[in-house]
Amino acid sequence: MISKKHSLFLWLLLLVVLPSAFFLHFATGEISISWSTFQDAWFSFDSSNSEHLIIREFRTPRFLMACLAGAGLSVAGLMMQTLFNNPLAGPYILGINSGSSLFVALSLMTGFTIFKSDFGIVASALLGAFVFGLIILALSFRIKNGISLLLVGLMLGSFSGALVSVIQFLSEANSLKIFTMWAMGSLQSVQSDQLISIFGLFLLGVLGSFFLVKSLNSLVLGETEADQLGISIRRVRMLIIGCTALLTGLVTAFCGPIAFIGLAVPNLVKILFKTQDHRILMPASLLLGAVFLVSCDILVQIFATYVPLPINAVTSLIGAPMVIYFILKRLA
Amino acid sequence: MKLEKVRIGYKESLLEIDQLTIVPGKVYALIGANGRGKSTLLQTLIGKLPVLSGDIFIERKNLSEIPVTDKSKLFGLVHSKFSGIPYMRANEFVALGRTPYTNAFGRLTKKDLQIVEESMETLGITHLANRFTTELSDGERQMFAIARILAQETNYIFLDEPTAFLDYSNKKRVLEKLSEIAKSLNKSIVYSSHDLELALEFSDELVCIPHQGNKVTNFLNEEMGVKKVITICFE
Repeated sequence: MISKKHSLFLWLLLLVVLPSAFFLHFATGEISISWSTFQDAWFSFDSSNSEHLIIREFRTPRFLMACLAGAGLSVAGLMMQTLFNNPLAGPYILGINSGSSLFVALSLMTGFTIFKSDFGIVASALLGAFVFGLIILALSFRIKNGISLLLVGLMLGSFSGALVSVIQFLSEANSLKIFTMWAMGSLQSVQSDQLISIFGLFLLGVLGSFFLVKSLNSLVLGETEADQLGISIRRVRMLIIGCTALLTGLVTAFCGPIAFIGLAVPNLVKILFKTQDHRILMPASLLLGAVFLVSCDILVQIFATYVPLPINAVTSLIGAPMVIYFILKRLA
Repeated sequence: MKLEKVRIGYKESLLEIDQLTIVPGKVYALIGANGRGKSTLLQTLIGKLPVLSGDIFIERKNLSEIPVTDKSKLFGLVHSKFSGIPYMRANEFVALGRTPYTNAFGRLTKKDLQIVEESMETLGITHLANRFTTELSDGERQMFAIARILAQETNYIFLDEPTAFLDYSNKKRVLEKLSEIAKSLNKSIVYSSHDLELALEFSDELVCIPHQGNKVTNFLNEEMGVKKVITICFE
């Protein structure tokens, strides 16, 4: 039951916080650029103007990628937590990110190059996420206990991590460098002409997820009860894993493996909104995830002149204490 | 619901029922020792577990031919314990009973909200509707679990040891409500229980799983006393 308070909060996030984050993100870049130049870059573009180029080729894609990555990972995390009935679940813990890493490592550093196009890394990351998503799904039919499944996910992550280490050890310096840069995570590696296809795939994943809200709401009661309510568990599991793998694979492909958001944002949203209704949790995770990653990137930009911070570190540095604070506040 | 020459079990036959008819407006208490197959029988009756042989008919349709989505409008199953779900309010929990009837996004219509309200009224728990399910007592939670099945508007309500974790007064309250619901809403109610005296008081028929052999038999309550039930089912 969506209350007025909930929808007001959502609109506030959408109409006030996200645009404010956009302006702040734009204003905190290393080179200060005026608002009028920003408008010109978009509405009367001059390709010889370096400031216009910075806005078009760097700042805007970076902001949009931060939004999409934050939103996508949060929605994926929310679905995993509901599917496995466990607040600790998330694409990272279940090893889906590791699948992407392993396949990217295989593609970049071995002679085993299935994907040689420009989209090589992307295709590898997506395929890795899907393969590992399917492995987790197959295992989930056998392992009924949620904690055991999480442990298996962690083991899967460690196993593929070890394989990646072996590949790294054996690979040549140049491809090792490319892989290491990718694995550190960055919102800057996306190019403006890639944004449309990224957005298309993101939209597919998110729309798919929104069509699952009814099933997700029933799944909160557990699979047996959801089945009693006429939900086709097998089909819903496949769709959830499919959407999660798409969103996680997409983000991981362009930004590297980002650990924290998929776990923290859905938990934060539940603590803030105090509901299990996915018609609220889904858009709230989407918006808060975007705001969260953009905010982290603002900090990265502010500190960039003094110390270059990887985005992966900042999300955990900010997010972990925040979640602990909210949990303590709730317990008090 | 009619059962004819049914054999029940996972791979090997656990129970046999020659004939059993479950009619609207009546409450059936299912009695049997631990591990004798009460839950297996309930799983079979809701169509989750196929029969090994024989037939179960519902309004002349064979249970095995009824699609899953229709089953969710026919049968509801209440478990022995509902521990509550963090951040889920009691009325949201009851509203999930409307899932088989709502649109693709689970939007509740005015009619759905009215049915949710009425289900809680029937059980006298409307004043607790806005509480979080984790804040309710075991007895209150069990009432909400029943309210959710009422909101699901199923003709058949099955309950797997619904009073197992309740104190005496809550056991009595839950069983009283079930008897009222069967009569006033013309539902068929089947619950399993180990509380023999209460089961005799709050049911119309007893379905007994014997401690020896595997033939399930049903008796009218008037024919039975606690001692006779113990002899058949436990000793």
